[in-house]
Amino acid sequence: MSRLNPFAKLPGLNTASVLLVESEEHFQQSLAEALVEETSVTVNVRLAKSFPLPIENDESRPRIDLVVFIINLTSELSFQSAEASLKYLEPGYFLGKVCFMVTNARSSSVPAERLDAVRRLAASLHCPLLFAEEQTPQGVTNAAERLLTILKAAAGFVPFTTPLYLSNLTRCTLPPDIDQPSFD
Amino acid sequence: MAETLCLSDSDRSSSSDQSVPSRSNNRSLRIAEKERKKNEAEDSFVLALRYFSEVEAGTPVAGNDELDRNLAVVEKVAFSKGLSPEAISVLLEFAMSLRMGTSPCVRVLKCLIPASVVAQQAVVRAVVWLNVSKIPISTQVLFIKWVLTVFDLIDAKDQLRAIYGFIFSFITEENLCPYICHLLYLLTRKENVHLYRVRKLLELQSKLGRQPFLMHLLSLYKVFCPELVTLSIPSRIRSGFKNYISPWKSALAAVQKSNGQQVSSSISAAFTIKEKSISRKRKHCHLDLPALSSVLNKEPQSEQTSRRKMVPLVHLSSFAQMLKDMHRIELPAQMGSLLGSSLALQYLDCVQEESALLRLNFWLGCALHEEFLFCRQTSEEALQFLNNLLSAQHFLQEGFSSSDAFLYKFLNVWDGSLLRPQILGLLSNIPVIPSTQIGRLLFEPLTQLFFTSSMFFKCGLMECLNNMLLKWLTWHSVYALEDDLDISLNSHTSINITLSGFKDSVMELVHFVGRLASLGLQLEGCNTLLLSFILDFYETVCDTFLKFGLPLVVMPPPGVFYPALLATDPVSVDRLAYIMHRYKLNLTSAKSQEKQTEPQQAFHISRHTFRQFNHYLVFMVNCLWNCRMFHANTDMHVREELLHKSNVPQYWTRFDFIHHPAFTGYAVDFHQKCWPGKKDVDVNSIKQSKPWSWYLEYLFNQGFDGLKDFVHSSISRQVTAGDELQDSQQR
Repeated sequence: MSRLNPFAKLPGLNTASVLLVESEEHFQQSLAEALVEETSVTVNVRLAKSFPLPIENDESRPRIDLVVFIINLTSELSFQSAEASLKYLEPGYFLGKVCFMVTNARSSSVPAERLDAVRRLAASLHCPLLFAEEQTPQGVTNAAERLLTILKAAAGFVPFTTPLYLSNLTRCTLPPDIDQPSFD
Repeated sequence: MAETLCLSDSDRSSSSDQSVPSRSNNRSLRIAEKERKKNEAEDSFVLALRYFSEVEAGTPVAGNDELDRNLAVVEKVAFSKGLSPEAISVLLEFAMSLRMGTSPCVRVLKCLIPASVVAQQAVVRAVVWLNVSKIPISTQVLFIKWVLTVFDLIDAKDQLRAIYGFIFSFITEENLCPYICHLLYLLTRKENVHLYRVRKLLELQSKLGRQPFLMHLLSLYKVFCPELVTLSIPSRIRSGFKNYISPWKSALAAVQKSNGQQVSSSISAAFTIKEKSISRKRKHCHLDLPALSSVLNKEPQSEQTSRRKMVPLVHLSSFAQMLKDMHRIELPAQMGSLLGSSLALQYLDCVQEESALLRLNFWLGCALHEEFLFCRQTSEEALQFLNNLLSAQHFLQEGFSSSDAFLYKFLNVWDGSLLRPQILGLLSNIPVIPSTQIGRLLFEPLTQLFFTSSMFFKCGLMECLNNMLLKWLTWHSVYALEDDLDISLNSHTSINITLSGFKDSVMELVHFVGRLASLGLQLEGCNTLLLSFILDFYETVCDTFLKFGLPLVVMPPPGVFYPALLATDPVSVDRLAYIMHRYKLNLTSAKSQEKQTEPQQAFHISRHTFRQFNHYLVFMVNCLWNCRMFHANTDMHVREELLHKSNVPQYWTRFDFIHHPAFTGYAVDFHQKCWPGKKDVDVNSIKQSKPWSWYLEYLFNQGFDGLKDFVHSSISRQVTAGDELQDSQQR
């Protein structure tokens, strides 16, 4: 089983690489287009449906600084695929180089348990969990902006901070049952 | 019917108007053709209605082509344009009387989409049919769901209220119960609450368990007649009536959207604030605020003889009039309409009527939850709705509990950009949260958003938290005077918080912002804009005692203090100086007050705060004034050898008023003005006693009032300038 290793390759000069993993390939493309708009650093975006990644691309693949799992909450499959892919990552990635992005969270057809399951997963791996509004262009831009914030830290472009440090600040926590916040 | 026909008439005339100037025979022919078709369609609709009103009971359904055809016509019209009140009456009567059995009944019910309003008479008759004919339970449920969906469109509710007891009797039917409870919730008035009804509800509760729909109705009863309901009801009941999945909703919204303007004139919108925009789009979407409309019958004198006469809110037009009729104001049927009317809000604020707030909160909670939290597409209407809600909250100067509950949920799925100004506005209105809850409700989701978002979001959140703190402090300063231990969280809830609890919450908030601020500055490379928003926050914090009378002083963390002091722009340094000046005033006056009052009950500001303040002050004076920057036992201790190695000449003077990166420009400018002839600029010559005081004067004249206050309050210059600092030790 070949695993993706965060430190197996040398980083490119002034380059940050991000891998977007989404089983349904709905949101990947538009997000990637928004991500490469960034001008201050060269952003390399790689797309994948799931892990393991094909071995034949191993040579050409740059060092991946951040792995983003895009989970569509309306589909159980999307969550299962992300969960299954996780084991193909070296543990080193979980020190601030993995994040989850959830789409369709504000949809009435989503069972509450699925969101909880995603939260539990992200919290157990100490990874950030971002929500995205993929329908509107503004939502896509914003999602890209937030990913870039994390990516720049993960690729080491932000002085005085490390990926682990940032992920420690942003990692997902399990929210309590807030259906009825009672103050009694 | 009359209405739609009339409208199509006007359509026709306008289209023929257009065809005249074109003078094209062909075209007018085509238009005539179109009209003919239109007329035919309308005729077939009229015929269909006639069929439904006249069809004999017991006509067979199976193989009845005429019925099928007519149903199809009606459905087509219903889903495209909606049905007129008369058509609804006819169809409802047909369906509920079961003239042709149950199968057409369900089909007809499903297409009852009103174009404008629903006649009350029709609904009352249908409710009566519920008992007379043998309608299957599932169809009965469908009918009640329909009534709930179109409830806001029923033109009056007095007769429905008159058969309250009759409707109440259906509550024993287990499947109908949730929907009947909801309907009763919407209809209940004080005079409907009787002991036997409460008993019946309690009996049901013991049978069915603590169902939310029963609890909701009981809580409303309790508000009206607390003496009748002794049951304790939790302060927030889990999400209200769950009947939002109704088959008509989307069709209704679509129909109302498509024939928008045509409906608008049906009910007069007497005095909403933004009369035009609201009355026009009033019913397009559930998110629009409904206009205030009277629930009373059109001829109140015939109806309200036995009861005391109620004055509907919509008939009032001035504050004086409202005061006169305060005791007999009739609330509108749609509580949402209160949000749009300033008079109604004033009434709400003055009267503090719990039932009104309960109903308003209930409506708002449902609207926010279904239409916003779980509505994928957000539109102009959502924006407008939230803006209206915000302006109502600003008017009342407090939030609504249902919008707070909504926010706590929404923050957990927010992407940080969707309707950001509105969400941050609502967030800044939330009342004080007890310190045990504040972390998980507020801080955790906000931390995750803050550190992954752009600089502008960070600034926006800082501003929002500053506003939140300001509101909390203002709330305290207003209500603490009345009763100095307990502060009610909200003018209309019974939840109180003690002074120490309030202090804990404020302290939590300030520490939280301090943490966000220091880390945010670090991540953003001490961005000046962010620093400015952070200093805004500390301008509020430093004055908690003098301005708001809260005996609490919290110093900024080093991560905020040092970046501000060593900033490259003079404005930040000036504002920091102002903040330190205010801290000094607050601490000295708190100290003197502490001495006067008795030790037991007096407030206490910890020694640590004084020590921290003195520490900062000494460093600041050393740095800006005394040129003793790298003094031992400061936070910034650097080894002597290392400083020598750096080869910076006179490193200890690098951050005084002359060499500080923020002020060098001013020093050079001053030097040129002071000694115009001199070619080589030696700013050190400003250090001499006389030019030094001129230089300070020059700086103060540039508008650095903060520095001026700071120098005047913290540095005494009686001794030769720049020699001694009057160490304003507090302890």
